[in-house]
Amino acid sequence: MSTKVLIVDDHPTFRSTARLLLESEGFDVIGEAPDGLSAIAAAGELHPDLVLLDVNLPDLDGFDVAARITSVLGAPAVVLTSSRDSSDFGPLVHRSGARGFIPKGELSGAALTELIR
Amino acid sequence: MNSLRAALLALFAASVAMAAVMVALVVSSDHESAKEVTAVLGPLIGLSFCGTGIFAWMRRPHNRFGALMTAVGFAWFLAGLTEANAAWVYTLGVYLGPLYIVLVGHMLLAFPSGRLETDAARTLIAIGYLDALFVQIPFFLLGGDISTPDNAPRNAWALTDNPDGAQVFGAVSQLVAAVLIAWLAVQLVQKRQVASPPQRRAMAPVLWTGLALSATLAVAVVGQLLGAGTSVAASPSLVSLIAFAALPWAFVIGLLRGRYSRAGAVGDLVERLNARGIEGESLRDALSDALGDRSLALAFWSRGSERYVDAHGQHVDLPPATSRSRAVTEIERESVPVAAIVHDAALLDEPGLVRAAGAAAALALENERLEAELKARVAELQVSRAKVIEVGMAERRALERNLHDGAQQRLVALSLQLGLAKTKLRTDPDVAERILDGARGELASALEELRELARGIHPAILTDRGLAAALEALAGRAPVPVEVEAVPEGRMPMPVEAVAYFVVSESLTNVAKYADAEYATVRVVRENGYAVVEIEDNGIGGADPSAGTGLRGLADRLAALDGRLEVDSPPGVGTTVRARIPCA
Repeated sequence: MSTKVLIVDDHPTFRSTARLLLESEGFDVIGEAPDGLSAIAAAGELHPDLVLLDVNLPDLDGFDVAARITSVLGAPAVVLTSSRDSSDFGPLVHRSGARGFIPKGELSGAALTELIR
Repeated sequence: MNSLRAALLALFAASVAMAAVMVALVVSSDHESAKEVTAVLGPLIGLSFCGTGIFAWMRRPHNRFGALMTAVGFAWFLAGLTEANAAWVYTLGVYLGPLYIVLVGHMLLAFPSGRLETDAARTLIAIGYLDALFVQIPFFLLGGDISTPDNAPRNAWALTDNPDGAQVFGAVSQLVAAVLIAWLAVQLVQKRQVASPPQRRAMAPVLWTGLALSATLAVAVVGQLLGAGTSVAASPSLVSLIAFAALPWAFVIGLLRGRYSRAGAVGDLVERLNARGIEGESLRDALSDALGDRSLALAFWSRGSERYVDAHGQHVDLPPATSRSRAVTEIERESVPVAAIVHDAALLDEPGLVRAAGAAAALALENERLEAELKARVAELQVSRAKVIEVGMAERRALERNLHDGAQQRLVALSLQLGLAKTKLRTDPDVAERILDGARGELASALEELRELARGIHPAILTDRGLAAALEALAGRAPVPVEVEAVPEGRMPMPVEAVAYFVVSESLTNVAKYADAEYATVRVVRENGYAVVEIEDNGIGGADPSAGTGLRGLADRLAALDGRLEVDSPPGVGTTVRARIPCA
């Protein structure tokens, strides 16, 4: 069974390209969200296996969104992403409850599978 | 002015003639018991009022005070008709007798401007004239007894013989007079209370003499009311006569004392200024002492910012020209404004006095002005430096945001598209080709955004080809037709060119965003050591330079170069943005 993914990013270009990329690598993209609050709501409704979550969102901080999504029982795995480098964020990624971080330019199905394995 | 002078001299001659008539009447009077005293004191009092009044009238023709004082003198001479032996003249004298008292009240309340300033004062004086001139008429017509002493002529105006009925009117008239005199005293005290200290000093002699006069008159009137008095015209007591005689001299003494002490004070001021370097608070104090105005304040003209500042360089507002209590005297040196002396309006009663003191202190004021201007410059620079740093930080934040949201996102998408194309290259070359086309479009957009950003940081064309070329390029990119009408030939210093460029760039952005204009023109000219940048549009106007961050940021950048930004934007007419940048 393929991995169900929710993509959260405020840039539509990124969302559509990431959807294309992940679907071509066998992932099942079940939803997209443009900001933090709708991401939390969608995670509750759609029960994805994986949330690909941008750090810079217009309403909430990506780290806070990750913490809230992963705080419930049977929560999906969260992978943070950004056009910035992970070194810009220090220990924040680790503390947020996310499985890991992938720079946007390096996003691929293989990199995601590696993190959630 | 000469005709006024001639008229006043004629008036004085008339008063001398009336004094002579009075002496003749007293000397030939059958009923005057104190002939010697009255023959000397009577004309003296009348001439004192007429003389000082005409003097004051001549000095200040627009001030009615002199006229009032002269009127008191003539009314006094009319009251002297009571010395006549002819019954008709005697009766006229008795009838007009109280008029001078009302005129004195009028004069006291109108001091020093010559005008009655309050409704209460106007009411009091109006009732006074009514009482003196009309309430008494029935008293005379009903045959009131005016023969005091007994050998004086009889009432020549009596139509009937009803002395009791007449006495009712006489008593009413005196009662009203008593109330008015008390009210006059109250108003004089109030007048003193609301006066500023310099006004109080100027009015003191007149005020105290006036109060003393009201007190003696009140005693006399009350005495007559209680005793068997006749009309209000009963002869005044000796004490009140002395107080009355002193009044014009009190006025002259007050005037001269003020003038001499002030002239002396200006002399002292010059000495103080010459003796030692005087500055700051002590200069203000010296002027305050010289002019006798403790509330005096100084403001210095800042040529840099073209407004008045205090000694610490902070901007100050001068009282408006309509202010009744405060006045401003501006001091110039070689026709250039130096300072403004903000002082009590009462000092305007001495024309030229403040100006004389200011002229004496002009050099010290000029030194003081230079220092205040320097402080104002420093304060302004501190503010503009902080603002430039703030603007710099804000620009860097905006730059980071623009890079992150723009070019960086496009490059990320490009990277993903290339990865995707790679996976499709063998299995589905058509899809791979479409993805690569999209990627090229993304790359072109990223390049354009980076160019735009780079221009925002510093346009290369400005460095390489100068302001004219850079402004032509800006005009070419603007969504509204823009004509560059004038740009100076040759290069200006780089910071000047850069600020001029950003003024035009920001203004054209605003024109496109807000002005709803059909066209705009850009003009840069060199003028008296300044580069003047002007952007004009024919849009809706109403731009508020304090509202947007763009124009404010520009003003701060300009301030760092000692430049200024003016925005003229009347609604419906269009907007003109004008920047003046020092450019030697």
